Amino acid sequence: MTFAHPWMLLGALAALIPLLIHLFDRRRPRPHPFGAISFVLRSQRRTASRLRLRRLLLYLLRTAILIALPVALARPELRRNAQIASVVRGPAATSIIIDASLSMRYRDGGTTLFERGREQARDALRDLLPDEPANVLICAPGALAPASPSFDRGQLRSMIDSAKPTFGSVDINRCLDMAARSLEENPMPGKRLVLISDLTANALHLNLPPPTLEGPNGERLVPEVVIRDAAAGKQSLPNRAVVDLRIDPALQLGPRAFQFTFTVRNFSPEPVHDLEASLKLMGQVVAKGFLDIPANGAAQKSLSYRFTSGGVFPGEVVISGDNLAADDQRAFIVNVPKELRALIVNGQPNTVRYRDEAFFVEAALSAPGSPVREITKDAEAAFHDSFDQYELILLLNVSAPGPEVSQRLVDFVRRGGGLLISLGDHVEPDLYNKQLAELLPLPLRMIKTAVDPEEPDADKKAAKIGKISVDHPIFSLFTGQAREGLMSARFYRYMLLEPAPGGNPGNGAPVVLATFEDGAPAVAIARRGQGRVLLYTSTVDRDWADFAIRTSFLPLMQRFSAFLSGSLEEREDIKARVGESVSLSSPGHEVVASVRSPSGATLPVRALDEGRFLVGPTEEPGVHQVQDADGRPLPDLAFAAVLDPSESDLARIKPDDLSAYFGEGSVKDSGPDSKQRRLPFWSWLIVAAAVAFFFEGVLLRE
Amino acid sequence: MELLNAQTLSKLAGVKLRARAVVDGVLSGLHKSPHQGQSVEFAEHKEYAPGDEIRHLDWKAFGKFDKYYIKRFEHETNLHAVLVLDGSASMGYQSGALSKLEVAKILSGALAYLLVRQQDAAGLAVVTGEGFKDLPARAAAGHLRLVLDELEGVVPLGTTDLFGAADHLAEKISRRSLVAVFSDLFDDRQEALKRILHLRARKNDLAIFQIVDPAELTFPFDDPTLFLSMEDERRIEVNPREIKQSYLEEFGAFLKGVRTTCAEADVDYELVRTDESLDAVLLRFLARRQERRR
Repeated sequence: MTFAHPWMLLGALAALIPLLIHLFDRRRPRPHPFGAISFVLRSQRRTASRLRLRRLLLYLLRTAILIALPVALARPELRRNAQIASVVRGPAATSIIIDASLSMRYRDGGTTLFERGREQARDALRDLLPDEPANVLICAPGALAPASPSFDRGQLRSMIDSAKPTFGSVDINRCLDMAARSLEENPMPGKRLVLISDLTANALHLNLPPPTLEGPNGERLVPEVVIRDAAAGKQSLPNRAVVDLRIDPALQLGPRAFQFTFTVRNFSPEPVHDLEASLKLMGQVVAKGFLDIPANGAAQKSLSYRFTSGGVFPGEVVISGDNLAADDQRAFIVNVPKELRALIVNGQPNTVRYRDEAFFVEAALSAPGSPVREITKDAEAAFHDSFDQYELILLLNVSAPGPEVSQRLVDFVRRGGGLLISLGDHVEPDLYNKQLAELLPLPLRMIKTAVDPEEPDADKKAAKIGKISVDHPIFSLFTGQAREGLMSARFYRYMLLEPAPGGNPGNGAPVVLATFEDGAPAVAIARRGQGRVLLYTSTVDRDWADFAIRTSFLPLMQRFSAFLSGSLEEREDIKARVGESVSLSSPGHEVVASVRSPSGATLPVRALDEGRFLVGPTEEPGVHQVQDADGRPLPDLAFAAVLDPSESDLARIKPDDLSAYFGEGSVKDSGPDSKQRRLPFWSWLIVAAAVAFFFEGVLLRE
Repeated sequence: MELLNAQTLSKLAGVKLRARAVVDGVLSGLHKSPHQGQSVEFAEHKEYAPGDEIRHLDWKAFGKFDKYYIKRFEHETNLHAVLVLDGSASMGYQSGALSKLEVAKILSGALAYLLVRQQDAAGLAVVTGEGFKDLPARAAAGHLRLVLDELEGVVPLGTTDLFGAADHLAEKISRRSLVAVFSDLFDDRQEALKRILHLRARKNDLAIFQIVDPAELTFPFDDPTLFLSMEDERRIEVNPREIKQSYLEEFGAFLKGVRTTCAEADVDYELVRTDESLDAVLLRFLARRQERRR
């Protein structure tokens, strides 16, 4: 038995009061001659035994009240755990390690495993002998080594009280090693590690060596390990989790439609039927579905939604809640392309549609799912048009415009418009270089003919794309088979450009994103003012190349458009996992000043080079909002952090495996449930005192 | 005149005055109450019943009350009464204005006064720890003075000996008599009361006046008390609150037993509290006797 306030026990001396009153306060009775004394004698004889019992009961009740109250105020606790008693309790420097991984958020019986673990940590602290120093290590992602063991129980207790479970996965082996090393310097011969965990298999890796520490003579010592199981009594911890989410455009549903395909795993031996899953956008449920998941299996579900407008939208996929709520949802950020109004300036119209310069571009930009709303005009009509109503202008094999139009084009781009220039027979390099010098990423030099398309082996001699910058958003799609479709295009003729001068692209320096096999640029881009210019050095019809009939033409044209209008690389797909840092690239070179987690916490931000920032590590799942130095939100940089799916698997380590790992001699399992072992019974003492008080009153009233 | 209470009586000195005061109260009460008055007035009359001698009808009474009454002869109304006074030490207990013995003296004196006033013979037997003292029953006015003087001189002494008193009376009473016993009946011997009641079996008219003190009835003690016996050396220290309920049960059972025993023996029984009006006690007694005579 232990007492939280042992000095209160002094109050139990009050139990002597009834005895002292009995001994010293015996009043002298008043003599009274009485005629009916026979009846007094008879009554006394009749009631003597009952009175003696009553007096004894009164004495006992009063004494019990006076003992129970101070003892209750001393807050006693009974411990009746045989397993605890069996632990060899030699004085030892002790390190208490509390598992703060996501799985400890599992709710069991109205409380979380972490709450239970924290209570067990307090128990462990109370169990320490007065001469045992201790420290506490909250085993969280990125946990640091604990301080040297000390006797400051108050500080340790406050550490335990303020500990919180994380959303990340932890490496308990690492925490045990750190805790063991923290005990090395302590002169006390005994070393003990108290591990408080739910003992899930993914937290403690039994294939790694158990913790050891270096003894005073350099020898390796195995510390005593006491394991307190926060999920004691549970054979398994059934759980369901959204472990994966894929967002794809749903072209079949029209522009701005997306399909959200998510995977739900069932980490339990029982199958799940009709599990409700919903798609939430901006806090509203926009689609719902149901899943059947086999035992210990997974199921996929797709929900679709068509956005009414473009923009960056936060959302989440949610399944019906279970005991571990954190992994029942998965947040995302979806970038819906804005509608682009594009002016196609057709430099070589033709009544035969497929010979028309703009035919293939029109087809590509008006394909289902394309965000572009295009209008095609010949050069004369187009140049009389107002450019302000467009976000994008495509000059397709257009003769060099006059100075006035050129200036309007420059103004258009500088104000933020996008300009795509494809070449052809109508393009005269010198005139272009003269009229559009301010816009061209690189000056045109001359047309190079790789082979005449009419030659019999033209296909073999034709030029091909040699290299592409897959890092750039425009070409990021072209990997694997998609890359083959791009690389197999044949180019018979293309424009050579002047060499690139080098410099910072942010300052307008050109960037060559694709080159032909001979190194000549195929695609070059440059920033001009607020806008962008893309120069494609071949034709977009079949005059100079067969690229227009290749499968890669359509997506590439759409991505050209998206990039030029600023809606492509501005929304880089940011992958963030809880517990890890996130690298953000600011395309507009805005300064990332602060990042707020879903709960409102501020994450650390560190500036890297060239508009890149390192944020985190993230601590919780969900959408993180990014702000610039003026506090304005940067929605394009907002990102969703997701959980490590492995932490959702709550399969537990078998006790035999634990014993085999730590060794029979050193493992002292603290038993099933600390609440069952520790019996705080002061409340019962209070109740007993109240009952005694009641019966004392009853006896007195008799 | 209001009925006399114990406080008033205690201010009067001597049995004679007290008894006389009680008798005055009784007579006054009888006069005021037509029914009670008739009872005493008609001590020399009897209401007519079929079979009575017509020649003994009291026509004056008929003229006055419009009822037939039979005149009784002088010798038929002469009553031979023996007043038995318990003079044991327990009778000296007093929690109020009068002790039990004083009440017994007043009641017996008043009754003697009434008897003699009606030309009945009144005798006295005083039972004390020292033995018995008797005055033979006579109807003379001078004898009344002797009776009252004797009563005056009784002091509480010794133990209650109802057993001996019964034997003594059985020996002394030679003709049918009214035997009125004034006692608290605190005799530990179970058969003592029954021995007294045997006098009834010998054709005597028996009346028991059990005199108790209010403190004996209610046991109003709170503090721890050392109770001392008034008749012997017994003593006991108790907390009265602890045994009060038991005492009241015991005492109640004792009174109930006495009442039941008297009823079974066809004996007049009167429980007299020392704090109640004694003329009311006598009126009650006389009314009951009148009822019995009918």
